[in-house]
Amino acid sequence: MAGNRATKRLDITGDCCPITFVKTKLALEEMQPGEILEVLLKDGDPLANVPRSLKDEGHRILQVQQVNSDTYLLIVERGKGE
Amino acid sequence: MKPAMTSDYKDIDFNQLKRGGFIKQQGPDLFVMRLRSIGGYLTSQDLENIARLARKYGRGEVHLTTRQGVEIPGVRLADYRELIAEIENLQLLPGACGPRIRSIVGCPGREVCPNGVVDTQAMARQVDQAFFGREVPAKFKIAIAGCPNACTKPRENDIGLQGVVYPQLVVDRCSLCGLCQFICPGGAIKIIDGRVTIDRQKCCGDGACVASCPTGAWTAGARGFVLYAGGKMGRRPRLGDRMFNLIPEDGVIPRINSVLQVFIKYRQGNERLADTIERLGSGGFRELILSLSREEVAAGGRE
Ligand code: SF4
Ligand code: SF4
Ligand code: SF4
Repeated sequence: MAGNRATKRLDITGDCCPITFVKTKLALEEMQPGEILEVLLKDGDPLANVPRSLKDEGHRILQVQQVNSDTYLLIVERGKGE
Repeated sequence: MKPAMTSDYKDIDFNQLKRGGFIKQQGPDLFVMRLRSIGGYLTSQDLENIARLARKYGRGEVHLTTRQGVEIPGVRLADYRELIAEIENLQLLPGACGPRIRSIVGCPGREVCPNGVVDTQAMARQVDQAFFGREVPAKFKIAIAGCPNACTKPRENDIGLQGVVYPQLVVDRCSLCGLCQFICPGGAIKIIDGRVTIDRQKCCGDGACVASCPTGAWTAGARGFVLYAGGKMGRRPRLGDRMFNLIPEDGVIPRINSVLQVFIKYRQGNERLADTIERLGSGGFRELILSLSREEVAAGGRE
């Protein structure tokens, strides 16, 4: 549902830390507060680290869906900060 | 060439020397000056001072120890007094050797590391203040890690402290986003029938749910330290046993004290703590700790 409102989609399944977070951060910086970003990422380090870093930066995860055995989709609302 | 006993040598304060940090190295009349950090941090000013001392008294180089210390090799005995006076002046900290409590190793902890759940640096300062350099029957090492990742290898030390936080759910904040059940490393969290549930037996206390939950529904419940005891490396390595599951921050110093008291009381021969615990059994040792009276623990303490 939230996915339908997404204005951008990012695939970081081929990246590792810290590229995963940096790409996500840059994508969100180009968006307006309240807009929705979808992020496709792998479990393990990316799933453990990207969501908590997004929280630190004031963005909000609305939903997490498991796409297949090792891939997840984050639906992120861009926060009001910088 | 053996250096003669000059008058310089007779001025040496053996009590000062005994406190440690000045260690014989290969080669006639050569010593290593060992300095310690507390929890692995040195200021840029410390580094500049150490660099200067290494040029002046050593060979212009230092060796980084496995316990986060800095050693200056190539120092002469005749320079000891002058060097130790400079070290004191510059507020650098000498290290320890021999049967003493060694420098306290610590990871950066929650101030810096995103995984950290406790303030390891504040704890390292407390433990250093309370115990560093104390004479004990055998060498005694303490390390502190900020979370269950255990980067500073707490279980390889006589005593290892490891930060934990056990989460508490504030149900009405939860948006059922699903994140926590996917990131919980032990599979402790499950969303069942639209409700977040936790199996406490499977929770390792790494606080991943608390750090990540976008709505703040997972909050820090109990926070503190796991205490491991009886680890060592060397020729016959042994991993420390999990003695206490959750010690609040202000309970750590008395608990370390009680471990020391039991060790001192029950040690035989040349045992390290690891050997004493091996002989008495982990459970038996723990019982002895718990049976110590308040007075005994206090008597072993210092300000
Ligand atoms: S033990 Fe935990 S807090 Fe400390 S450095 Fe490792 S991951 Fe970070
Ligand atoms: S991460 Fe937080 S908001 Fe999301 S399901 Fe878990 S408790 Fe609820
Ligand atoms: S603290 Fe870690 S192990 Fe415990 S429930 Fe939260 S995520 Fe799972």
